[in-house]
Amino acid sequence: MHHDFIDRYSRLDSVVHRRAAGLKLAVALALLLAIILWPRLDKSGLIAFAAIAVVLLGLAALSRIPPGFLATRLLMLEPFALGIAFLSLFQPGGGQTFLLLLLRSTLCLFTVLLLTNTMPFADILRVLKRCRSPSLLLTTLALMYRYLFVLIDELERMQRARAARTFRGGRWQTWRALALLAGELFVRSTERAERIYAAMCARGWK
Amino acid sequence: MSTAHQAIEIENLSYCYPDSSQALRAISFSVAEGECVGLIGPNGAGKSTLLLHLNGILPETQRNAAHIRIFAEPISRDNLPAIRRTVGVLFQNPDDQLFCPTVFEDVAFGPRQAGLSEPEVTEKVRVTLAAVGLHGFERKSPHHLSQGEKRRVCLAGVLACEARVLALDEPTSDLDPRNRRAFTALLKPIRATKIIASHDLNMIAELCQRVLLLDGGELVAEGPAATLLANEPLMLEHGLERARALQPGR
Amino acid sequence: MHIPDGFLDAKTLALSGALALGALALAVRTAQRNLPPRRVPLIGITAAFVFAAQMLNFPVAGGTSGHLLGGVLAATMVGPSAAVLVITCVLIIQAFLFADGGILALGANVFNMAIVGTIGGYGIYWLVRRVASGLRGQLMAAAFAAWCSVVLAAGSCAAQLAFSGTVAWTLVLPVMTGIHMLIGIGESLITALVLLAVARTRPELLTEIADGHKGLLWERLAFGLLIALGLAVFAAPFASRKPDGLEYVAQVQRFEHKAVEKNIVPAPLPDYTIRGISSPGMATALAGGIGTVLMFGFAFLLARALLQNKSHAS
Repeated sequence: MHHDFIDRYSRLDSVVHRRAAGLKLAVALALLLAIILWPRLDKSGLIAFAAIAVVLLGLAALSRIPPGFLATRLLMLEPFALGIAFLSLFQPGGGQTFLLLLLRSTLCLFTVLLLTNTMPFADILRVLKRCRSPSLLLTTLALMYRYLFVLIDELERMQRARAARTFRGGRWQTWRALALLAGELFVRSTERAERIYAAMCARGWK
Repeated sequence: MSTAHQAIEIENLSYCYPDSSQALRAISFSVAEGECVGLIGPNGAGKSTLLLHLNGILPETQRNAAHIRIFAEPISRDNLPAIRRTVGVLFQNPDDQLFCPTVFEDVAFGPRQAGLSEPEVTEKVRVTLAAVGLHGFERKSPHHLSQGEKRRVCLAGVLACEARVLALDEPTSDLDPRNRRAFTALLKPIRATKIIASHDLNMIAELCQRVLLLDGGELVAEGPAATLLANEPLMLEHGLERARALQPGR
Repeated sequence: MHIPDGFLDAKTLALSGALALGALALAVRTAQRNLPPRRVPLIGITAAFVFAAQMLNFPVAGGTSGHLLGGVLAATMVGPSAAVLVITCVLIIQAFLFADGGILALGANVFNMAIVGTIGGYGIYWLVRRVASGLRGQLMAAAFAAWCSVVLAAGSCAAQLAFSGTVAWTLVLPVMTGIHMLIGIGESLITALVLLAVARTRPELLTEIADGHKGLLWERLAFGLLIALGLAVFAAPFASRKPDGLEYVAQVQRFEHKAVEKNIVPAPLPDYTIRGISSPGMATALAGGIGTVLMFGFAFLLARALLQNKSHAS
């Protein structure tokens, strides 16, 4: 199995996907700021949040990302938010804080999900480059994005090979085996890094 | 033989890896400009190590470099950038070679390092990608490509550097027969001097005029492709086989 | 521990963002100076490695599982300043590829995990290494430091949540650090085990790296200063039992009350925090202290047990 599906929706072709990366980022940041700066959950607050939700839903529909995918991702990411919001229940006036936090974080999460699934990572790199990020950071990010797929695939192949020859074992054995696997992956990764360095040099990297 | 026309000249090259395993022993040969030479031999014969020497990736210390001349120019620390522009290397594993997040970035890597302007780079990438049959692949990410496509992008990345010498390390090892034939056909018209390390003896037979046989870090035999590849006892002795293309009754 | 957007307020975001940027710039500078070009790709690959290793699920109990965070592990592998870069990149990818952790909150997450967790954890690793030598010392130091790094990062995260007025300090600190004192045990075990695996196959990888990152004194001081500054700003108003600190909080709260006028969500943590600070605060500190001592012992025993196994096996 190849893990190239991880960011599959960021390369769809839709009205939203075709917009410039900077614009999408700016709109997302503006929406996020509006959400966290809106102080209260009265009538006007509810209207504002509802309006933002409508905008987000509209963008989601335009983006052609399957709604089921967005909903699942949203639910998967909600637990931490729920946990923190849940804590707020234990303080005076917690009920309303809880509601506000839940609304805020859900809207924010939805915004970030939409942004990340309509913008290929290469575009984000380009924006970062335009912001004059240090080249070491850019190189690291670019290499990381490129090789995380390769390493995840490699890890899975190794894990499968191990499982094929594992017949029993308690929890402690599993831990040791997993750690060995991670250690081996790191060793292989350093060797791969050497080969990549050679390939970069071969094409004139300084 | 006049030196002026030799693309690669290697004299008495030996190399020891840092873990003190001897990879190359006293290798000498030369390749004329425009020639296509096959480098064959069993696993661990030193083929990849030899290719890495050609553009100065090995040795890490420049001690041995005087043994290698590219267009009469001995490799040294000072002319390394120039050497690396002259010699393009296609690495064994496409995943090691494609280190950029998108196909465009990857093919553009060499030209950008060479100092081309951005419109020139874009045009270069478009032309090179079209030449390897991947028109319109610019925005794709390497991890979304098939193995055959990855190989082609690697080749495009090397071609975009306009190298005069191409060192190809197992260019068809992970391809299915159709992709292998297609890739061989892509390599054939390329006019640069080529040195191809491979176990794919059919491809070697088709592309190369001359063959070098390496085993245990030594140059065991050298000769015209048709003669050497047809020498069954020699091939079997060094862990190879007779190329199907040259077998009788075909 | 990835804070999503919507939990931190503007001042916390701005403050932690500025601190994270400063520390990141410092880390890039240090790494750039110390790194031979040959090792530049290694940082990107290590970042991909940490990301991939986080996908390994270590079974805990009752069908739950934990995974690596990797700050201390990365620091022992590529050195502390490069590790800051590694963890920062992991966080950026997690935010921009998976929406795991907010985008506005990226600065806060970088500060907690890449700066406080990694540099703080590495500092502890370095200290323990002063007194414990050899592979056993290395494993013990890494095991202890990994636990500390998780707890430190959780504490910093709790402080930010409290500073934002999202959840009361007296609630969020014990819960966050408590949970992460447990999670940290897993982190500590995984870190030691992975390090041992690498030490057995390619020991030179670890020593080579350990020699290659001599940070300058002022850089170390600057890192320490940035972390201390952050923790002081975020946590001091709550941790200090002097009336000034409390008054300050109260002022902030009142200020916010006024700023948003009537009909607001009742601002979190009014009297409750102020009345309750001494006892829960003390209790948390006490529990933290006991936990740390226990963990140090655990790390010591773990390193011993792991290496004894080795002599049995060979």
